[in-house]
Amino acid sequence: MSAGEREPTREEILAMAYADGELAEGERREFEAVLATRSDLALEVVRFRRLEVLARRAAGPEPMDMEWRRLEAEPLHRAGRRLGWLLLGSGLAVLLGWCVWTLIAGDIGLVPKLGLGALLAGAALLFTLAVRARLRTRVYDPYAEIRR
Amino acid sequence: MIVVTTEEVPGRRVESAIALVRGNTVRAAHAGLDIGAFLKNLVGGEIEEYTKLLAEAREQAFDRMVEEARARGADAVIGLRFATCEIASGAAEFLAYGTAVKLAP
Repeated sequence: MSAGEREPTREEILAMAYADGELAEGERREFEAVLATRSDLALEVVRFRRLEVLARRAAGPEPMDMEWRRLEAEPLHRAGRRLGWLLLGSGLAVLLGWCVWTLIAGDIGLVPKLGLGALLAGAALLFTLAVRARLRTRVYDPYAEIRR
Repeated sequence: MIVVTTEEVPGRRVESAIALVRGNTVRAAHAGLDIGAFLKNLVGGEIEEYTKLLAEAREQAFDRMVEEARARGADAVIGLRFATCEIASGAAEFLAYGTAVKLAP
């Protein structure tokens, strides 16, 4: 064993066996109880699951994948993509800002103004929570790296 | 866990059928991928964003089915089938199902 390698800990071995479905019923329940309180261990299980899922596909990359990689490495292509997304995002932000400003300063009654304001604020809050939930759970998704 | 699409496991004898097992999922691409996919849709060719989305859903549904079979003490799943439909634009629903069986030693 080289200096950089080390023996896996008991928890790592259990995490691997759990990911492979090799634990007996009692052991599995015991491990799941620990898993519920340990996010680091849950990440370890996800890591093993991710490896297992990726290993299922034995086929190598296709010729078109290479061309995609070459294309994405081209400075002009990358710069174009960045500029495109920047313009799209900026346009969206400006339009949203304009909508909010029209709502505040526009010549509409108080009731529709309050209604629209609450609608926009509620939608923004729920969207923010959905993004937060996605970012929190994304690391536990072993399928995110599957290509095809 | 042996998983096959056939009605029996070649070289093994099915001792008993346990139950129908299934796994499903609905996955969606985020708005950025949808925009990219929409643009590729205009010019043709493979829409990789959606190929990936379907593959993710397929593997997750498959794993959930295998988990259920495992929890029921099965040795194998025979007659594996996949089904898919669209319940929301830009989302992929995948259902994997089969019969969990016990194999003779």
